[in-house]
Amino acid sequence: MRAHPGWAVVRFIVVAVGAVFMIAPFLIMISTSLEPNTSILPSPPHFFPQEVTLDNYVRAITENNFGGYFLNSLFVSVATTVATVAISAMTAFAFARFDFRFKNVVFSLLLAGLMIPGIVIIVPQFILAKNLGMVDSLWGLVFFYTAGQIAFTTFLLRAFFERVPHELDEAMTVDGAGIVRKFVGLYIPLARPALATAAVFSFLGGWDEYVWALTVITDPLKRTLPLGIAAFQGAHTTAWGLVFAASVVAVLPVVIVYVAGQKHFIAGIAAGAVK
Amino acid sequence: MKRTAVLLPAVALAIAMGLSGCDIGGSAAPAADVEQLAPGADVTGSIIFWHGYGEDGAEVKTLTDVVIPAFEKLHPGVTVTPVQIPPGDMHQKLVTAAAAGSLPDIIRADIVTVPELAKLGTLVPLSQAMPDFQDFADTMYPGPLETNRYGDDYWGLPLDTNTKVVIYSEQGLEADGLDAVPATLDELKDAAENSKDGTYAFAEGGAGGWNLLPYIWSNGGDITDPDYTTADGYLNGPKSVEAIQMLVDLYKDGKLPGIILGGTGTGTWDGVPSGEYVSMVDGPWAMPVLQGAHPEVDFKTAPMFSGDGGSIGVVGGEDLVLTSQSENKPLAAEFLRYMLSKDAQLAMGEVGQLSAQSTLADDMSNLQPYYADFLTQLETAKPRPVTPQWAKIDDIFAKQIQLAFQGTISVQDALDEAVAQIDPLLAQG
Amino acid sequence: MTTGYPLLRSLQISFYNWSVVPTQVSKFIGLDNYIRALGDEQFWTGMVNAAVYLLLTVPATVAIGLFFATLLHARMPARALFRVLFYIPVVTSWVVVSLLFKYLFTTNDGAVNWFLTDFLHLTSESIPWLEQRWTALIAISALGVWKSVGWCLVVFLAALSGVREELYEAAALDGANAWQRFLHVTVPGIRGTLLFVLVLQVIGAFNVFPSVLLMTNGGPAGSTEVPLTYMYKQAFSFLDFGYGSAMSFILAIFIFVISFLQFRFFGEKKEVGS
Repeated sequence: MRAHPGWAVVRFIVVAVGAVFMIAPFLIMISTSLEPNTSILPSPPHFFPQEVTLDNYVRAITENNFGGYFLNSLFVSVATTVATVAISAMTAFAFARFDFRFKNVVFSLLLAGLMIPGIVIIVPQFILAKNLGMVDSLWGLVFFYTAGQIAFTTFLLRAFFERVPHELDEAMTVDGAGIVRKFVGLYIPLARPALATAAVFSFLGGWDEYVWALTVITDPLKRTLPLGIAAFQGAHTTAWGLVFAASVVAVLPVVIVYVAGQKHFIAGIAAGAVK
Repeated sequence: MKRTAVLLPAVALAIAMGLSGCDIGGSAAPAADVEQLAPGADVTGSIIFWHGYGEDGAEVKTLTDVVIPAFEKLHPGVTVTPVQIPPGDMHQKLVTAAAAGSLPDIIRADIVTVPELAKLGTLVPLSQAMPDFQDFADTMYPGPLETNRYGDDYWGLPLDTNTKVVIYSEQGLEADGLDAVPATLDELKDAAENSKDGTYAFAEGGAGGWNLLPYIWSNGGDITDPDYTTADGYLNGPKSVEAIQMLVDLYKDGKLPGIILGGTGTGTWDGVPSGEYVSMVDGPWAMPVLQGAHPEVDFKTAPMFSGDGGSIGVVGGEDLVLTSQSENKPLAAEFLRYMLSKDAQLAMGEVGQLSAQSTLADDMSNLQPYYADFLTQLETAKPRPVTPQWAKIDDIFAKQIQLAFQGTISVQDALDEAVAQIDPLLAQG
Repeated sequence: MTTGYPLLRSLQISFYNWSVVPTQVSKFIGLDNYIRALGDEQFWTGMVNAAVYLLLTVPATVAIGLFFATLLHARMPARALFRVLFYIPVVTSWVVVSLLFKYLFTTNDGAVNWFLTDFLHLTSESIPWLEQRWTALIAISALGVWKSVGWCLVVFLAALSGVREELYEAAALDGANAWQRFLHVTVPGIRGTLLFVLVLQVIGAFNVFPSVLLMTNGGPAGSTEVPLTYMYKQAFSFLDFGYGSAMSFILAIFIFVISFLQFRFFGEKKEVGS
């Protein structure tokens, strides 16, 4: 591609300015998490801490079984990610490559599920969970999270599967490949960037979810991280440094998953180049 | 896709209509005799206790490390499992649990939710079930006790209470050139009107009942009649209107900070230490926070600004309630009694929880000198209307008053409209 | 069908003056809840606010997300780091960032007012962001855009990696400039994803919730209420689940129609384009 000489520099500056805006509020959060006495937030806010202490981090991690919540969240998120991506890949494949009766009806139903505000159906959903014996259980969380994410993930993946060139599909048919081999040998590798994206979002969805976890989890031993962080908020006063410190720690695993996912985005480019 | 897409809601609608068509529920057996929960019963087994103490504070530690073990020691073999619910989400959790029949045995509930839970039929009427109820009731400040009343019964007992008083600092007075903090609403108005540029005589962080009822009551007005049957002639009466008018006038003159309409992440708390606000009206929890963050400032308390109605604060706090679905009510009742014992109350008092028992006032003041003004204020403090409809009433109240602050309508019109909307709710009870 | 059963159940509830606890009678009232919603001024204020939020956030989010995705798709120094920085707002909890933004938009000494008055000198007066309707909606929208740009970016990055390089090279040979290449190669190449992002952003905009709840709680005087905060209030604060459910179905039908139109207008072209 022809590139203007200054173009790379301009592009870098634009991206850097954008990144600064993205990160500025987060800096205030980190700064506050490093300060003592944060029940009253300073105004004007501090972009850099005036008095540095790791006290909030120590408290956030050592108090109230943070490690246990962390592991619970990790388990729930990983299990949800595996289940969601596996199931959605198959359903998306079916929607992208097969014609079956009521295909559009089923797909619309799936989408309609995304449109109903979840907050109002929480009471019937809770009663259902109770009848299924899925209250106060991490597997129960995985089950409902997976069920809740399949629609979104299928929708996401369908767009990618549909883009797989028909010629490649037909070429494999000529070679005598069955559906399974096509799915595993062609669609999955070509959709790697999309699958990585789906996994990144699915992990985040399990990691971040609060309202449903609040509703079904009561046992303190089964709390996920968002519940643990919310527990730091008091009725009248909240030590913001503590909440922010816990939130900063909570962000790390999701960033790691994202960085790991990125490798596959690049791998995807390579795969595309082979075509 | 097009036709089927349109059809879908219709199909679903038909299914639902088929499912329904007649009233459902209502299997409740007419209240049989209330199970008697005598004190000193032989208790065994285990119960679950939901509370909303913040986990960053010392209250949770005292509860789980001191109070509950002491109770379990008194009754060998019993277990009390405390479960912390984030206070902001307690109501939602209670509602879903009530719907699914999965409430715990005993709850530390915000005082304003007790009548609502009682109306839902989820609570035990303590005044019937506990033979010693009156003994406990007699020790309580009248305001907190009143919050447990629904119908002819009391459905809980106050575990802790609080109210709001005027909080200020000498440095703040000096910055605004005042000799003393205003004691009356008139002095407050005067001080606010003459405050220096960039400073305010006082600040309010919201327009709901919790924030503004003390001004109405102290000015001699009220929100409803004493039995909570009508707001007409009370909320829109001259004394109530006058109190709100004073605040609205100050706001319009730029003498009352805009945060009364929302708009800050820090509430009123940053302005008092900096001297921007000379005073605020707030609860006991503010004191340790302010002093911890600003050891250089000397924070003081004074009674709520007084008027024709006296100096009237608003009652806050939590009540202990027992649920009707509990399978171990005797143990829950015994635990409730223990939580109201002097030992437990003093232990919690040390970590910031104010006892609702006037008989413990001296002990409380000994624990923390700043408790004294709050305890005095509690003697006359009033609860927000004790009715299951309070959440709706508060919403109407705040909305109409905010409209008056915005200048959309006059204060009288706003409060007339509020009364028109509130009275039908009160009639429902 | 873990959502299917609760959905039908909610639909049923919407025809009742529903009592939360099963031991109390729920009265069948037919379409009363729906009729009440259609005549409820506050509900429509909420719908208008959601529409304003949609207009303020969706085009901006999609455009900014696509813009930076295009820039970050090509090789550049510290690309991986930048991608992470853009993603950080997405992964931080809504509750925490909502409270953070409320703090940033504080009238006196808030970070945003400081930036506008003391840094950019755009205005000398502090703007009372959260104390009035339209400025509050702008503040809430700013949070919405900030929080979602990274999400769009990630989806677009994945989509861009599937656009074949040869097409760009071919277009470049034809003498197309960067903008023309973007318009004629990139956009058709990611059309399916673009539709996906648009549909979900629109759904998300009508479902805006925690940010409003925590930044203004619908105030002052209900002027910044959005459908979900109002439904939540009706259901969980006032225990009127029948009414809350009815409103959620009206909202869902609304969203369904808009999504349908989006598929119609953006989806059809996919066939034409490829």
